[in-house]
Amino acid sequence: MDSMDERPIRLTVSDDLKRGRLSVFFRLLLALPFLIWLGIWAIGAFVVAIVNWAITLVMGRPNQDLHGFLARFVRYATHVYAFLNLAAEPFPGIGGRPGYPIDLEIDPPQRQNRWTVAFRLVLALPAALLATVLVGSTSSSYSSEFGGAGLGLLVVAAILGWFYAVARGRMPRGLRDAIAYAISYAAQFWAYLLVLTDRYPSSDPLTAIGPLPTRADPLSVETDDDLRRSRLTVFFRLLLAIPHLVWLTLWGLVALLAAVVNWIATLVAGTSPEALHRFLAAYLRYQLHVGAYVYLIGNPFPGFTGAVGSYPVELRVAERERQNRWTVLFRLLLALPALAIASVYVSLAYVVAFLGWFASLFTGRMPLGLRNAGALALRYMAQTNGYLFFVTGAYPYSGPCLATPPEAAAPGPAAAPLLSA
Amino acid sequence: MRRLASRLARPATLAVLAAAAIWIWAAQALWSSTVPASAHLPHLEASRFFSDSFLRRSASYERFLEIEGLLALATLLVVLAVYAQRGQRLMRESAAGRIGTGMLLGMLGFAVVWLAEIPFGVAAVWWQRRHGISHQGYVEWAIGSFLELGSTFLFVSLALAIAMGLAGVFRRWWWAVAAPLFVGLALLFTYVSPYLIPSTKPLHDPHLVAHARALERSEGVGETRLRVQDVHRFTTAPNAEATGFGATRTVILWDTLLDGRFSDAEIRVVLAHEIGHLAHDDALRRVGWLALFLIPATALIALLTRRRGGMARPEAVPLALFLLIVLQLLATPLFNLVSRHDEAAADWSALVATRDPAAERSAMRRLATTSLSNPDPPGWTQLLYGTHPTAMQRIAMSYAWEEESE
Repeated sequence: MDSMDERPIRLTVSDDLKRGRLSVFFRLLLALPFLIWLGIWAIGAFVVAIVNWAITLVMGRPNQDLHGFLARFVRYATHVYAFLNLAAEPFPGIGGRPGYPIDLEIDPPQRQNRWTVAFRLVLALPAALLATVLVGSTSSSYSSEFGGAGLGLLVVAAILGWFYAVARGRMPRGLRDAIAYAISYAAQFWAYLLVLTDRYPSSDPLTAIGPLPTRADPLSVETDDDLRRSRLTVFFRLLLAIPHLVWLTLWGLVALLAAVVNWIATLVAGTSPEALHRFLAAYLRYQLHVGAYVYLIGNPFPGFTGAVGSYPVELRVAERERQNRWTVLFRLLLALPALAIASVYVSLAYVVAFLGWFASLFTGRMPLGLRNAGALALRYMAQTNGYLFFVTGAYPYSGPCLATPPEAAAPGPAAAPLLSA
Repeated sequence: MRRLASRLARPATLAVLAAAAIWIWAAQALWSSTVPASAHLPHLEASRFFSDSFLRRSASYERFLEIEGLLALATLLVVLAVYAQRGQRLMRESAAGRIGTGMLLGMLGFAVVWLAEIPFGVAAVWWQRRHGISHQGYVEWAIGSFLELGSTFLFVSLALAIAMGLAGVFRRWWWAVAAPLFVGLALLFTYVSPYLIPSTKPLHDPHLVAHARALERSEGVGETRLRVQDVHRFTTAPNAEATGFGATRTVILWDTLLDGRFSDAEIRVVLAHEIGHLAHDDALRRVGWLALFLIPATALIALLTRRRGGMARPEAVPLALFLLIVLQLLATPLFNLVSRHDEAAADWSALVATRDPAAERSAMRRLATTSLSNPDPPGWTQLLYGTHPTAMQRIAMSYAWEEESE
């Protein structure tokens, strides 16, 4: 796996999640001077980037001073976007100096492949598509093609985080990490486009923002996938999934009715009835298996029953637990923020499938970064559905994280966390 | 002699003989026709009705498609034969149980065939475009064909789920339950099929509607749904079809038939022909013939897939696909014969209803010229591809009717 330390562009996070309510409330206005300054800087960076591109093309390596100028620009943009989107609290200054709570480490100039330099604009297009879904776009064509509202993960998480931080004076870890993930990818994208590095941006959420929290969520996703993809089944993937999509729709209708019954039963008893919990857990597992197959997160054709352990991308569902009756009663309302995040993750899954389709068809392998980004999206969708169907009372966790193996929850020797999105 | 007699007396042999007798009886019942046995088709020279240049052009046009069709057929057989041998290797791409894996293998079989036949499809589109018969672009054709494959996958999956599910329960006798079930599904599909045909709208032309209602009365058919299908974006060839039965019986006219190239009298003949199909319940008869094909075919597949563990095992699916296609190809001349028989009966009914043999002749000539169809093709092409009597046979039938009605 491509670890964080091996990347030429690394995001570091030392933010303590504390936020000043007043600063959060006026964040957009407070960020305006920095945005204007960033805009002025961008004009210079544009000219320098063209010169740097030409020099790199001729010399095979960027000029040290130009590289330093552009690196500082990208770092400063990272600071400003982290401030604006509530991933960090302090004012970002005007110089892009290191030391900000959401910071960027950029390696000194290295030799680059001239071919990738020459065609950098074209090569960056797939990364631009992914950056669009993570950061957001004002383009209506993006929103119509990928079903999103044109707001990326960054903006949706920032809007939700704004309400939370104004009320609680803290930023939720999940939302902060989701924003940091989007900023990390955007920084890699710009560094690639501005020829600071020839390393292609990695969309792997597990290595994007440094150490991740290890969580024992009631619904978590484990991947035991070797990244190998069959070109034949990849080419026909969408058509091959048709029987599953039909079956999923039929099962979904029954699951919807079961969820309504589950709502009433959980409201009365405080816990979900065993039979309904099992039925809905199987449905969620099956939904995840089919999603993994369609979005190319998994390779084999899934079974039709959502059986435990039957697929390399697996949804682990904990035993039923007591749920707060108030949260059960108002579950639909409470789920609205999660649904907003989920809609962005659906768009991310579409883009992952679209890019992964070409990559898998040509190389016979799914890129790790895309696979893990897709798994993150699937995990969030499954957690949202589990929350909506009263399988769990735990709110979906929006950031990347590691999952604890089930036995680690019990007292005993500490188990190594499973890699999971 | 004694050994033969004792073998014939075995219950299994007796059952097979009884089944064969029932099959023959049913086939005979389905073969019935309204064309009088006394009707004699005169021999006519095509050059009397079509110009020499058209005859040359249509023969050349169809020859290319026929040869290309034969090559596509050979490719289909070779690909499926290889797939029957090696297809089971693709089981590693499945995490599903035996039925799910079987469904995957079934779909992949058709996927491989689709890939192998792309060059033939492209060649056919190129040839039709070159002769002005098709307006379809290559990308449009490829996308349409790819999406059609999706519906094939759905049907294959459903059929395999039924066959493999039943094979898990009834073992080697699965076919005895599956064949009637498939026939039932075919019946259901035939019933709802008018609603599955895309881009149709009601026929609004009051003259044509009035003609259709009069023809319905004349041919003894209740009120029929009359629809127009929008196909002019893809083709210039005219056509019409009768589909559904009972409450869903529908006549669908392609909009290329109504674009001004055909006179009212000619369209009336086409309407009468399609209503003739409804009068004879041809859609139901086709399901009957399908039953007569499916019962022995599924039994044969059950028998020949035993060495792969029977239809309950996914390993048997690639072989079953190959067998099904081979059996279907072997039955094609029979199906074509039946189809030509039904079409001839519908033509006769149209002549009886319209009493206008001149319009019949004119309609057949125009149908042939507008779709560049060879009016007098070689016998072997009729055997393999001929679902309708040739244009010359249909023209000859109009003379036979005139003679019969005098």
